[in-house]
Amino acid sequence: MLEVRNLTVSFPDETERIEAESVNKAVKGISFSMKRGEILAVIGESGSGKSMTALSIAGLLPETAASSGQIIFDGSDLMSLTKKERRIIQGRDISMIFQEPMTSLNPVMKVGKQVEEVLLLHTDLDKAERKRVVLQALEDAGLEQPEKLFYSYPHQLSGGMRQRVMIAMAMILQPQLMIADEPTTALDRRIQDQILTLLKEINEKKQMGILFISHNLEVVKDFCDRILVMYEGELVEEGTPEEIFHHPEKEYTKRLLASIPEGKKERSTDQIDRKKVLLVEHLNVYYPEKGGGRKQVIFDANFAIYEREIVGLVGDSGGGKSSLSKAILGLNICTDGLIQHYTEYPQMVFQDPYGSLNPVRSIGWILEEPLRIQRKLTKKERREQVQDILKRVGLDRTYMDRRPSELSGGQRQRVGIALALILKSRFIIADEPVSALDVTIQAQILSLLKELGREYGLSYLFISHDMAVIHEMCDRILRLEDGRIYEEK
Amino acid sequence: MRYFGKKNTALTAGILISAVLFAVMLIGVFYTPYESSKMNGAEKFMAPCARHLMGTDNFGRDIFSRVLEGLGTTFFVAVSVTLFGSLFGVLLGAITGYFGGILDEILMRMNDALVAFPSILLALVFISILGNKVYQIILALGIIFIPSFARIVRGEFIRQKELDYVKSARLMGAGHFRIMFFHILPNTLPALLSAITVGFNNAVLAEAGMSYLGIGVQPPDASLGRMLAEAQGYLFSAPWYALYPGVVIILLILGFSLINEGLGA
Repeated sequence: MLEVRNLTVSFPDETERIEAESVNKAVKGISFSMKRGEILAVIGESGSGKSMTALSIAGLLPETAASSGQIIFDGSDLMSLTKKERRIIQGRDISMIFQEPMTSLNPVMKVGKQVEEVLLLHTDLDKAERKRVVLQALEDAGLEQPEKLFYSYPHQLSGGMRQRVMIAMAMILQPQLMIADEPTTALDRRIQDQILTLLKEINEKKQMGILFISHNLEVVKDFCDRILVMYEGELVEEGTPEEIFHHPEKEYTKRLLASIPEGKKERSTDQIDRKKVLLVEHLNVYYPEKGGGRKQVIFDANFAIYEREIVGLVGDSGGGKSSLSKAILGLNICTDGLIQHYTEYPQMVFQDPYGSLNPVRSIGWILEEPLRIQRKLTKKERREQVQDILKRVGLDRTYMDRRPSELSGGQRQRVGIALALILKSRFIIADEPVSALDVTIQAQILSLLKELGREYGLSYLFISHDMAVIHEMCDRILRLEDGRIYEEK
Repeated sequence: MRYFGKKNTALTAGILISAVLFAVMLIGVFYTPYESSKMNGAEKFMAPCARHLMGTDNFGRDIFSRVLEGLGTTFFVAVSVTLFGSLFGVLLGAITGYFGGILDEILMRMNDALVAFPSILLALVFISILGNKVYQIILALGIIFIPSFARIVRGEFIRQKELDYVKSARLMGAGHFRIMFFHILPNTLPALLSAITVGFNNAVLAEAGMSYLGIGVQPPDASLGRMLAEAQGYLFSAPWYALYPGVVIILLILGFSLINEGLGA
């Protein structure tokens, strides 16, 4: 059904490439094919060219990109068609869903209207029929009360529901091929599984091929028929999940497999005579609502964290994990109960390394700021400390003059960690510190956190939705369910 | 600066036009060919020629000299108004956006009230209270210009204060003042810069408009708007009288509009 021959994507005019490692060619002449109704997974870290491959097939490459080669879909070469011819095929037979269900829906348009839009463009159904088809599609996507949903706005939906709406939109014309670019990465584990099951169902029922792009090998394990592994724009290995997982041939594939956190960990139990770093008793946290009311998100939380201990905090997204961590650090004022810190300057490593560093300031300025506020050191001493801490997290001094936007996600997260450490804090809350990163980078950051923890004797409250990561990192696990904290055995 | 990385025709043209006008204005401060308000009965309504580059007006005054001086007045008023408006606007917007709550409600409703009146009408009220010397006009227009800046800065602050870098700054122990002006404010710069260029243009138009209506800069001081008003009666007999001040106003606005456009690109 789909055959890609010698596809190359490059960025000829891009003089502003920031990352030294990224080469001008994003995809270097790859070839592969896909059968009707097949689920093909393309795996690779960011910069491997997997997204560019998907975008080429969907005809959505950025304007600065130049592509060559052949993409043969249903007998015609998409690359040689005019834009208009291509658009007709694309809307009808190829659809795409994206990673970020928050931004891929138009926030000011009702859900029903958005899904209907596809029908307006590609069919000549009348209004009543369109609505019937839309409601059916929403139902097929596993959404309850489609009638009510039809008149809702995206912001009234949860992340998982939004992704289902996207899927409904993508399958409403019964395309032969659906391209899914990291469709579950932004969702938490439980919802991730639901979405994958849904995609699998649709695939079986409608014989719709799925090209599934992901950085997470684990996700596609039981899901796809075949896997392509990409690295630096080239096809490294191709095979069935069985072959890839159990008999990987190439070094890179093995490395990729090894960097999946494994989920076992020997527990240290002697915490009784350790010193506490944090004590929380009868803590209630509220969330202010529009119109003056407040909603309670945490009910009567009681726990303590001890010296040199990594405590995991897990729970559903939107379940109050972030509210709890903000409350502990005093960033949320709507609380009552006892929060007792035994260390100075408890810090936080944020989930999103793009938002947690001030975009207009240099890395040096950002790292120096806490010391400036302290007013204890001279300018020279401050610079020295900044250099030391940068070195400690694996970045050299040249990073001091760079802006956050010039760094990759992993590098930014290293700066975030440096920032948490520069005041010599001993207790750090890590709020999903790796969930925005690629799997190989994730492994690096996790081992850095562990290493620094040992070296400085740090305690972490480690928040994650990825149980594999939690089991690898943590000594103890707290589960947050319906606003209540349970200690897991 | 990132604005200058690529070829940006609008920005280049805008800066060029504004720079030339600025230079001309500076020259006008120190040197004009004739004294701008000196009348000469023998040389009324002279067409542009070598002696009078832009001709003379109904009192035989040299239009070139008057345009130079008028440009200076307009520049001075517009820059002062923009500075005044943006300074207080930023302050007000930062405080209301950052703290929110009841203070925000009160100040923003006052802002709304100010915006609800047509600005020229409002300027009339202020001027009848304050008087119509240049500084009082600046004060009047400045007050009227505060809301537009405050609104933009407030919006930016509301958006930015939720971002993690602000939380991170709080965890470092930064105080509110430091967070507002050292952490958040630089991030509002792109929006603010665009507001300033638009604000400057509006100030130029407001000054010219008020002078045209006779409530702005008073004679014998030259003002581009006032010249337009005076030239109105001689539009057919002495078209150059209206042409030159008009062209200069257009260029002034065009320059800053292009800069604004270029910054947005």
